Amino acid sequence: MTKLTENQVTDEHLFLNRREFIQKLTALGLIASPLAGYAGQNFTSHPNPNYQPKLSLTSEEDVTHYNNFYEMGTSKSDPSRFADSLKTAGWQVEVTGLCNKPTTFSMDELAKQFPNQERIYRFRCVEGWSMVVPWSGFPLASLLKSVEPTSKAKFVKFTSIDDPENLKGQRFRTIDWPYVEGLRLDEAMNPLTLMATGLYGKALPNQNGAPIRLVVPWKYGFKSAKSIVKIELVEEQPISSWMHIAPQEYAFYSNVNPNVPHRRWSQAKERPLGSFFKKKTLMFNGYGKEVAYLYKGMDLKKYY
Amino acid sequence: MKTLKIIGLILLCSLPFFNLGWLFLQDDLGANPVETLESTTGDWAIYFLLLTLLVPYLTQVIKFRWFLPEYLIKRTLGLAAFAYVLTHLSIYFVFDMSLSLEDAWFDIIERPFILVGMSALLLLIPLAITSTLKWQRRLKKHWFTLHKAIYVIILLGITHGIMIQKVDITEPLLYLGLFILLVILKQLKKRRLFPKHKLFASSKA
Repeated sequence: MTKLTENQVTDEHLFLNRREFIQKLTALGLIASPLAGYAGQNFTSHPNPNYQPKLSLTSEEDVTHYNNFYEMGTSKSDPSRFADSLKTAGWQVEVTGLCNKPTTFSMDELAKQFPNQERIYRFRCVEGWSMVVPWSGFPLASLLKSVEPTSKAKFVKFTSIDDPENLKGQRFRTIDWPYVEGLRLDEAMNPLTLMATGLYGKALPNQNGAPIRLVVPWKYGFKSAKSIVKIELVEEQPISSWMHIAPQEYAFYSNVNPNVPHRRWSQAKERPLGSFFKKKTLMFNGYGKEVAYLYKGMDLKKYY
Repeated sequence: MKTLKIIGLILLCSLPFFNLGWLFLQDDLGANPVETLESTTGDWAIYFLLLTLLVPYLTQVIKFRWFLPEYLIKRTLGLAAFAYVLTHLSIYFVFDMSLSLEDAWFDIIERPFILVGMSALLLLIPLAITSTLKWQRRLKKHWFTLHKAIYVIILLGITHGIMIQKVDITEPLLYLGLFILLVILKQLKKRRLFPKHKLFASSKA
């Protein structure tokens, strides 16, 4: 793929000017705001200087048009094609389970209580391709701390949207809907674990899991559940959707590990989107320094 | 005239190939161009193999004989399938294996789906070589036995396609359905169960 040069992309200033222009018109009462009613449009996010590695970003076009989001169909192009079928108005996230202060948050409340920061992460799919994405979001740890998990809580269970009326993929039993994922509590509390509400400085596009999703950069992409409605603190290890579909191929941890092949294909290499050739996959997707301690003494061939 | 017609048919069979070449030059193969190239060439290999089996029935419905004798159509379609399989393998070898024979060898012995695909390709080679009339005369009735391998090849190809899917196997199952239908038709024809039906009329070219 040819890299887009800076001047081929819509100038960010023009883009912002258009928005400012609309906002001014709205302020003057000249037009009804097309931006009102959707918190995501007033999207702000500041780069966190600790998470700005020198990696070349995957183009926004590729990040938003090559997605696995089976709720909208199993083809990579389905999510962007059927993005409108995901209804995010009035979205709420219920944080509950073994905690002292179970809370249901609106997206506005989340944005207010947990300011967004931008972080550039590697993202590696279990299928053998990868991206580099500038996510915006906040650490899951701060959200979990706010509800005060009890000492009994050992795992975190994430549940995604369930809306077969609108989401055509959910009318087929490819997955036992809704999509469920899980993390061990210490994995969830790791500073790297992000609740993302945006990418490329904008609100999360529907096809990438709007309005809020999990991002766990050292695990295969399917662990990073999209369009989350419920986060539960639990005692037992949750059974994730992929463990349920194919327990012989997918296990709970699913850490990126070039030394443990998928049952059917190798995981030693990956193809960065937009590139013809493959490159070597890094242990824990290159985040060993931050997360290797979590798995000390564990046989990663057994707990893959 | 016949040569011209064959060239025309070859060009027709190459359309998907030219389309891929065009998309490649336009840089329009999507976010994962190699995957697009591999899956498209693989799909067309299966389409052409199934089409080869379909020809005897199609000639009963649409009269092709003014165009080319049936055996020439079948041969061209079969060779087109072989060409797509070779392209499929080349893309895999260049972009997935980075031209390393060693890597390819380990991939073949460690990944069953690669082994299955590779077997289909190897089986196609003798069929491609012996696709001429000269070889048909030389091998006599053995030629027909040998070319029955196309059924095994298609089955291996579809299996290969099923094995690379994560969950959604609708598409390969459709091809499998068509394949099974063709096998049943063939058996009905062989046992002369409906000799009067036009689909089963003898189609000597």
